[in-house]
Amino acid sequence: MTSVPKPLKFLRPHYPDLQTLYDTWSASEDKSLFADILSVLAMTYSDTQPRGTLRYRLFSASMRPPSSPLSEPGSWGHEYVRHLAAELGEEYPIKMPGTIDDLKGLAAQCAKFFLGHNAEPDAVDLLEELEMVDRIAALVDENTYARVCAYMVRCVGLLPPPDDAAFLRTAHQIYIQFSKFPEALSLAIRLNDQELIQQDYNAPSNPLMKRQLAFLLARAQVPLEWLIPAGGADEEEVPSDLLECLSNSRLSTHFREFGKEVGVADPKSLEDVYKSHLENTRTGAAANVDSARGNLAGTFVNAFVNAGFGNDKLMVEAEEGNSWIYKNKEHGMLSAAASLGLSLLWDTDVGLSHVDKYTYSSEEYIKAGALLATGLLNTNVLTEADAALALLSEYVDNKSVPLRTSAIMGLGLAYAGSHREDLIYVLLPAVADESLSMEVASLSALALGFVFVGSANGEISSTILQTLMERDDKALSEKWGRFMVLGLAFLFIGRTEASDATMETLKVIEHPIAKQAQVIVEACSCAGTGDVLKVQAMLHYCGEHLDASKEKDAEDKDENKDENKDEKKEEPKDDTFQAFAVLGISLIAMGEDIGSDMSSRQLNHLMHYGDPIIRKTVPLALGLVSASNPQLPILDTLSKYSHDNDLQVALNAIFAMGLVGAGTNNARLAQMLRQLAGYYYKEPDCLFMVRIAQGLVHMGKGTIGINPFFSDRSIMSRTAVAGLLATLTAFTDAKAFVLDKYHWMLYFLVTAMYPRFLITLDENLNNAPVTVRVGQAVDVVGQAGKPRTISGFQTHQTPVRLGTTERAELATEEFIPFGHVLEGFVILQKNPGWEKEDTMQA
Amino acid sequence: MPPGGGQQQNQDNKNKKDQAAQKKKWEPPLPTRVGKKKKRGPDTASKLPAVFPATRCRLRLLKMERIKDYLLMEEEFVQNQERMKPETTREEKNEEDRTKVDDLRGSPMAVGTLEEIIDDDHAIVSTASGPEYYVSIMSFVDKDRIEPGCQVLLHHKTQAVVGVLQDDADPMVSVMKLDKAPTESYADIGGLENQIQEIKESVELPLTHPELYEEMGIKPPKGVILYGVPGTGKTLLAKAVANQTSATFLRVVGSELIQKYLGDGPKLVRELFRVAEEHAPSIVFIDEIDAIGTKRYDSTSGGEREIQRTMLELLNQLDGFDTRGDVKVIMATNRIESLDPALIRPGRIDRKIEFPLPDVKTKRHIFRLHTSRMSLNEDVDLEEFVMAKDDLSGADIKAVCTEAGLLALRERRMRVTKADFTSAREKVLYRKNEGTPEGLYL
Repeated sequence: MTSVPKPLKFLRPHYPDLQTLYDTWSASEDKSLFADILSVLAMTYSDTQPRGTLRYRLFSASMRPPSSPLSEPGSWGHEYVRHLAAELGEEYPIKMPGTIDDLKGLAAQCAKFFLGHNAEPDAVDLLEELEMVDRIAALVDENTYARVCAYMVRCVGLLPPPDDAAFLRTAHQIYIQFSKFPEALSLAIRLNDQELIQQDYNAPSNPLMKRQLAFLLARAQVPLEWLIPAGGADEEEVPSDLLECLSNSRLSTHFREFGKEVGVADPKSLEDVYKSHLENTRTGAAANVDSARGNLAGTFVNAFVNAGFGNDKLMVEAEEGNSWIYKNKEHGMLSAAASLGLSLLWDTDVGLSHVDKYTYSSEEYIKAGALLATGLLNTNVLTEADAALALLSEYVDNKSVPLRTSAIMGLGLAYAGSHREDLIYVLLPAVADESLSMEVASLSALALGFVFVGSANGEISSTILQTLMERDDKALSEKWGRFMVLGLAFLFIGRTEASDATMETLKVIEHPIAKQAQVIVEACSCAGTGDVLKVQAMLHYCGEHLDASKEKDAEDKDENKDENKDEKKEEPKDDTFQAFAVLGISLIAMGEDIGSDMSSRQLNHLMHYGDPIIRKTVPLALGLVSASNPQLPILDTLSKYSHDNDLQVALNAIFAMGLVGAGTNNARLAQMLRQLAGYYYKEPDCLFMVRIAQGLVHMGKGTIGINPFFSDRSIMSRTAVAGLLATLTAFTDAKAFVLDKYHWMLYFLVTAMYPRFLITLDENLNNAPVTVRVGQAVDVVGQAGKPRTISGFQTHQTPVRLGTTERAELATEEFIPFGHVLEGFVILQKNPGWEKEDTMQA
Repeated sequence: MPPGGGQQQNQDNKNKKDQAAQKKKWEPPLPTRVGKKKKRGPDTASKLPAVFPATRCRLRLLKMERIKDYLLMEEEFVQNQERMKPETTREEKNEEDRTKVDDLRGSPMAVGTLEEIIDDDHAIVSTASGPEYYVSIMSFVDKDRIEPGCQVLLHHKTQAVVGVLQDDADPMVSVMKLDKAPTESYADIGGLENQIQEIKESVELPLTHPELYEEMGIKPPKGVILYGVPGTGKTLLAKAVANQTSATFLRVVGSELIQKYLGDGPKLVRELFRVAEEHAPSIVFIDEIDAIGTKRYDSTSGGEREIQRTMLELLNQLDGFDTRGDVKVIMATNRIESLDPALIRPGRIDRKIEFPLPDVKTKRHIFRLHTSRMSLNEDVDLEEFVMAKDDLSGADIKAVCTEAGLLALRERRMRVTKADFTSAREKVLYRKNEGTPEGLYL
């Protein structure tokens, strides 16, 4: 393909002679020009004399007088610059002639040429190879910056640790330079850098832009304290409308309007979801085997399906005394009462009054459920009144265990991700108090984990570690221990560097729970990074066969068999860490396309070789890695697992199917679940799970998703990850938690639940319907020209719902959006340059 | 559902009826997975994720490396697990299972064709002897490989399906695959520089360097047609391409696609392209395309219509609904004007490469190529022949040289003289114009 200039073709055979001639010349300006020509000729000799181009170029440059520097490398043509760039990349690690500054200067020149010739990736690659990627900010202009940044951001997930942050910061700097604040802010959120977030938030002067940023921050659940520096005086400066955006307080009204707009506002009954007339159950035998279970399942299905609309028939709209609560018994009543919270999700005004009447109930479980409901409906929204804290804190020290745990979890969910210091004083004492049962202590730790997710808070982590050291072995071996360590792990979600000290401390603890803690803390701290080494470590954990090692031990220690027996009794609890390791694989790999694709292959192998505990967790991991993203291969795999011989595997697979399809209304999945309902009509546990999965698939009637990634799947919501992980942890031993008395743990999902809508707002934050195109997102990074970003699109009027892998773009040029990604709330502004088409004709 | 009876039914009942009527809304059953024609290629479970962008850049490298890392981890994990497994039990168990399956299969086994799959374990099969049977499918048969129309093994007594034969491509197609590359290379072509350049750009480079086209933001051409008067090197160039490329090279002659039975021709075309795609990247070379590609016209002859149908299938394969991956098509013909316009429209055939009669420079080159190994007398001046204004094609020049050599041979001379060449040229030119009445009607 190379088109070498004709004259040079003639010179080529004489290259060796020219080289010797060159050496004889004395340094002069002419020699410099000669060197330049040799440099071009060397392109054709790159295989026998590597890096000749670069060498002569440097010689040539060194001999020029400073007054007349060498001509741009670009003047020799595209091929020459490419050659030079390639040699620069090779040269840099070796460092032959010339100084590093020369190389860098030359690289900058080449990068500039690339940027001017639509080769942005080449420019970034070159600078990255010379470890000077930060200098690209000075080279880009308004035509190239977007493509450069897109390319850089896409690279982040694949780079080793120090480089990825550098890339993000550089891209951030570029965006700021071109005052693209939403893009910059989303990168700052990814970096989790408080200062940067605050800076970006305060940077724009346009109040509308500021509101758009506020929406983004609210979606990411950035703690308010980060934006508004402590001190009462400053707080008044925040305008109320901005605060409204920041605290998500209009989420509920917008969501309901959206529901009306897309025609799903009417409540759905259980039968609408089950569609049991389509199940092919054998008639007669299909009589309800366990009506209590059936009713309980109904509770959850009703809650998930009608979540956020506040008009379901079983609970909210039920007549006095005829509420669904009374169709349940004992702990069932707890979940039923708590389902109110889900149904009235985000509705802090009306919701509280609905829940209120149950808080005075004489029935302990109803009261506990009401407390949990109070917490649930405050998730993801902030209120000035702080009702949740006021209502719940008095029950935190209550004697009754259900009341107490519900209040604790209610607080944890209501303030998830808020980093509120005052909650430490409410919840932390329970963690440290050894006289309390493991249940209360662990749930307190978990609640703290939710509130301080990703904060790496030293006080809490040290207290939990202290508890792990001081509690007696028996308490730690209880099933609740895993939630204690999970609480610890939540503190470090996405904080790769901050968890080291904790990891070291954990190594000292002898109890097997420490191993669980190590695994899960390690996994959480790398959540969403796609770090291959960590995945490998997780695989190693999974590769250990506890049975095999036990057998070996038995052979070794024939004489003291008694000890062995003791060990064997303990050992089954040991393997929980493997469950965490399996979850860890998908936790680390998610958020990056290649990793999540490849991780499902790994999970396949785990299913093949793993011990029961691993097999049990693999479906859950699959559910985690593609939450609310039903792709056919995953569905096929899960469908296979859901018929597994091991009921536990089948159970978890069914739940995972629910997760994968959560809020998608996926018809194929619904059909699969109906088949399963027929298949398992005799297994109450499985049937229960099928029902719940059906409820999940129709979550919010198809308007609410649980995928923890947002803003074009680039930012990971820490609270969402925490919620998913907590739910899945409850399923690592489903028999002990969800199928026992603790089915309310399913409500942990609430932190991950968020409407999948796109609502366009005008300048006064009222709905502004415009036409948008919605289609499958296409990866266009690094492609030439302006390729379409979506494929197979349909045109709709906003508000619209978006699937996990879908993307929207405005169909008219009448408006300019403030946000960079059309997702959630987007404020529009009239395009001043827009003219109506028919006016042109008139 | 009988209509409601009216008065005696109370409100409640009516409501129920309404609900029932509502519920009965028919939903199409979702098709079962087995028994469908599947797309060829690796299994979805083991398929590696696609890597974007296709441009050569670091992002692509990083992504590829990431995939490699994962695969390495997989390998390590599987190896460790295999090592840890107690070995003896595994082998014994396998052995046992195998003999058991063999027992169940029995012998001999009949070979039949699967006509239809009824449900997960029943199917209708037919054998060469005639009747069709409704039989069961044994559970150990790999359901993923069963599809309608495949060859299955049948138990000799119960006729149950006990195995699947991997159906290979049509043997006709496998013949077309070129195992031994031809010896002609680009160096053996005199002139035709532009043509070589064009065919390289449109056929070879898209297969070896797809990223170049991506960078430019264009779709690489799907195919080329080579046309020109006989003997100008169309087939030679195709041979050179086959010699040079590492892609699978399938070659067909248009007339091969004409088959005895109805529907066989189009089927062969389909098979041809299926094989090409399976072995992608590949190049399909169809010589003498005018055998099937002539303009369509109303014809009463069944044979004609069949040929036209074959061409229609070819049209579909070239640019139909399914996308062809890395399959490039080269066609060659003498008579481009008689081809159907649909066949050579852009999108199917993006480049038309003309092979003109050689000009003086090329002629010289060709003469030199052919005479390079002949022993010539000193008096031979090739320039004379090169400069002569004869309509000589590349093949004619070769004929002249050979003829001259033969003449010399007749007289047992060891050198070819100028006289040989002159008479050889005359002879060749005479033969060439033999058919056409010279200047009679002019």
